[in-house]
Amino acid sequence: MPKLRINDREIEVPEGTSVLDAIFHAGYDVPYFCSERHLSPIGACRMCLVKVGAPRKGKDGDWIRDEAGNPQIFWFPKLMAACTTRATEGMVVDTLADEVRKAQAGMVEFHLENHPLDCPTCDKGGACELQDRSYEYGLFEKYYTQTQNGLKTVLYSRFEFTKRHADKHHKLSEFVVLDRERCIHCKRCVRYFEEIPGEEVLDFIERGNHTFIGSEEIPLPAGFSGNITDICPVGALLDLTARFRARNWEFEKTPTVDMNDAFGAAIWVDSRSGRIERIRAREHPETNQIWISDAARFGHGWASRDRLTEPLLRKDGELVPVSLAEAEAFLAERLSGAKGEEVGLLLAADATLEEGYAFAEAARALKTPHFGFENATRYPVANLPAARYEELLEAEFALVIGDPAEEMPNLYLRLQEFLKGVTPAPRYYHGTPIADLRLEEHMPRRRERLAVFAPYPTRLHRFAGVAGVYPPGSVGALVGALFAILNGKRPEPVPGVPEAELRRVAERFLAAKTRAVVVGAEVLEAPAAAQAVADLARAKGALVFAMPPAAGARGLEAVGLWNPKGRGWEEPGAGLLLAFGATPPERVLAAARLRVLALSHLDPRARAQADLVLPAKTFYEKRGYTVNAEGRVLELRPAPTAPLGAMDGIEALAFWLRGMGRKPPAGHYREARERLHERHKLPLDLPEEVAFWRPKLRLAARPGEDKGELFLAPTMWRARMLADPRVRAALGPPRLRAHPETARRLGLDPGATVEVETGYGRWEARVELDPALAEGALVLPAWGRGAGRRVAYRLRVPAGGEA
Amino acid sequence: MGFFDDKQDWLEIVFRNYPPENRRAAVMPLLRKVQQEEGHVSPERIREIAEILGTTATEVRGVMSFYSYYQAVPTGKYHLQVCATLSCKLAGAEELWDTLRAELGVGPGEVTPDGLFSIQKVECLGSCHTAPVVQVNDEPYLECMNRERLRALLEGLRAGKPLEEIELPGDCGHEVRKEGA
Ligand code: SF4
Ligand code: FES
Ligand code: FES
Repeated sequence: MPKLRINDREIEVPEGTSVLDAIFHAGYDVPYFCSERHLSPIGACRMCLVKVGAPRKGKDGDWIRDEAGNPQIFWFPKLMAACTTRATEGMVVDTLADEVRKAQAGMVEFHLENHPLDCPTCDKGGACELQDRSYEYGLFEKYYTQTQNGLKTVLYSRFEFTKRHADKHHKLSEFVVLDRERCIHCKRCVRYFEEIPGEEVLDFIERGNHTFIGSEEIPLPAGFSGNITDICPVGALLDLTARFRARNWEFEKTPTVDMNDAFGAAIWVDSRSGRIERIRAREHPETNQIWISDAARFGHGWASRDRLTEPLLRKDGELVPVSLAEAEAFLAERLSGAKGEEVGLLLAADATLEEGYAFAEAARALKTPHFGFENATRYPVANLPAARYEELLEAEFALVIGDPAEEMPNLYLRLQEFLKGVTPAPRYYHGTPIADLRLEEHMPRRRERLAVFAPYPTRLHRFAGVAGVYPPGSVGALVGALFAILNGKRPEPVPGVPEAELRRVAERFLAAKTRAVVVGAEVLEAPAAAQAVADLARAKGALVFAMPPAAGARGLEAVGLWNPKGRGWEEPGAGLLLAFGATPPERVLAAARLRVLALSHLDPRARAQADLVLPAKTFYEKRGYTVNAEGRVLELRPAPTAPLGAMDGIEALAFWLRGMGRKPPAGHYREARERLHERHKLPLDLPEEVAFWRPKLRLAARPGEDKGELFLAPTMWRARMLADPRVRAALGPPRLRAHPETARRLGLDPGATVEVETGYGRWEARVELDPALAEGALVLPAWGRGAGRRVAYRLRVPAGGEA
Repeated sequence: MGFFDDKQDWLEIVFRNYPPENRRAAVMPLLRKVQQEEGHVSPERIREIAEILGTTATEVRGVMSFYSYYQAVPTGKYHLQVCATLSCKLAGAEELWDTLRAELGVGPGEVTPDGLFSIQKVECLGSCHTAPVVQVNDEPYLECMNRERLRALLEGLRAGKPLEEIELPGDCGHEVRKEGA
């Protein structure tokens, strides 16, 4: 651990620390543009120049000493870029010298040379690194002033010439716009794409003074593109969903958690006047670092449009707005004398722990078999052990069965890190290293560490040493065969996957000291396969990362909302139905006598079938806790965007139970939280770094097996997000992918538009032939509902379709 | 048909020089091959190269656009490159450029109707002591250029003479057009 001096402070830093991080660690500041956390330091912007000296060793191996006997400091002949200089023993760094100050001012001047200075119309204004650094480190009175008309003013530049002009509104996709005049060529965005998601879709075009950011992959692939709008130090890359919606200081910024998937990524919800305008990644070093998926970032439009603001009651076949009192009276009348076991209590996949707890307690008190949550898998994910995401970086081999890029996009980014062989970074006083010298551009991905299997080629397949595609429905066979080989038995054949491949996987798995198994929804839907994974982890020792399709699954199952009898969200049976947060399938609604839905938005099914609709909060607006896929307890904080009167699950449930003349388990959030804490002893008050809740559970799996032929592929995008025209435009029509043989058998023409109907809804899809699929495979995006399942379907070529 | 379809053997020889897990390192020879044979690298070729190397078209274009040697649009049979960096500029490169434009009636990115000529300003060719410098295609430099020498050059090229046979009036005070200058 080298000891060095920064100005007047002696510090000790871990081996390999950059001078830039050492400076911040010592509590001093130094300006920088091109360095960014988790990206390789490249020394491009020269903003971080500082004066550096170091002692030298003589021929005798001892320090060269001055007269006083102290090691003599040899100053580097020029200022050094702090971000690419390694801190070494005895180093002396001066960040306050006059020449440093002058260099900084000079660099600011260069950065502003061609910058349009259009801050008043720039969305980054007020949150711009260039703005801040110019104020702090730009030309300053001591050196650069001019006298004009007897007035002494500070110059921002000594040069005068026409600025370079370039494209100011270059749309990179439906979500991201590039302003080439504002770009300061820090290369963060270029490095991001190559180093983080591993797709080189942005690059410097031309060189020198002509350099600009360009792409041949327009529109940028939707998935991980939005992070560049966070890290661009200027307003060159901007979020189009938030274009011109507010100045940065006008936003109400709420730190909360993304509940679109089970990863538990930390986000900022930026709202203004009761509307969500923008989602940004919030730094959480142990989970999402500083990244989120495009779905989490750009998929917020639905939450702010067409909100339900008052109760709707069906009168003469039509849903009409009524007062809460009338809704109450209606409920009291319809629920009087109701039997507890007739009641169905259903909760959406993004519900909080407190909501889950209240629903579970109520179901218990009512003794009803009808309760559950949306997208519950057949095998309870809470039965599987959970590892911390960071532990993945310590593994030597990872076996993935599923599609992390879609199921838990942030885990996909962690897998990329794992492929590069990056281990968790040290933590400094200022947090994550800003210039982590262990990172380089174009680090080789260690493909031999990764094996991937899925029913279709995923984004990860390209990076895997062993990559297989099996026909949907064969996941059980795949896991079984692997299990057999690992136990030295003869495996049954797996369609589409040669035995030799499986043997290679098994060999590497056993050879690795630490291994990880990542499984997706499809495995969780096949109880035998999931159980095999659990047994494997126990017997051979492996870190398990399960990606349930319901964001809150782990927590909801653990607080008692697991319903092994199989009469949950999907199965009809309840006569009196309360569903919170999402609309259950048609058949479930059809079987009920009374259908009360608490929703943030009215959807067609609710419009057709609900008797009473109550306005509900979205997850952005809820207070509460959730347990993510690694068993970490995370806190949700409410953005101030819920319409007056919108309920959370606890309130909706209390409303319903009062209608039945029963006492609710909790009347409001505080009470639910206290009860939950009392009952389960949750680490709610601990900091998130250590707050884990992983109760050892042996819940019974739900019986049954998928019989359908259509595979619903997991997607990071959710059906509700499609309410936003921008999202629809970006994603295009859903693709019905078929193996060419399968397509021929079914009479599907490539490019044709067909209507596909499943138990989860109806989609107009475009037929696409994919020879990489296994024969017999038919794959449709799930948009969040029923991901990883094989379902029955009906196909229809609508009038005007090209087939 | 792809440009490289019938050049598989050539590709194989090229790839032998690069680590198999990092094929994208071979981007330069592939670009050069296309540039030499087709006079420019079209977007289709960029995509083809990207596919062969397992990278993105963006990355190939990034590399390509870094070098003024590679042309994104078609060039004439004779691609005249006028050095426009400092030494040449001081020695009259601007004038040469204007003359060229006037004589040929084309601007950068254009080709004369007869398909013979295209012009481009380039950065320092590394022969500042014989400024101003002009280069035709990949051929040795034409040094100490002025209006007369330029006219003679164009005349010779129009007459279909090989470059080395074209007489340029005057000289540079030392041997002109050294091999491989
Ligand atoms: S667009 Fe932004 S992030 Fe990309 S190089 Fe320019 S300033 Fe940097
Ligand atoms: S040179 Fe850009 S941060 Fe050091
Ligand atoms: S400036 Fe023209 S050759 Fe150097």
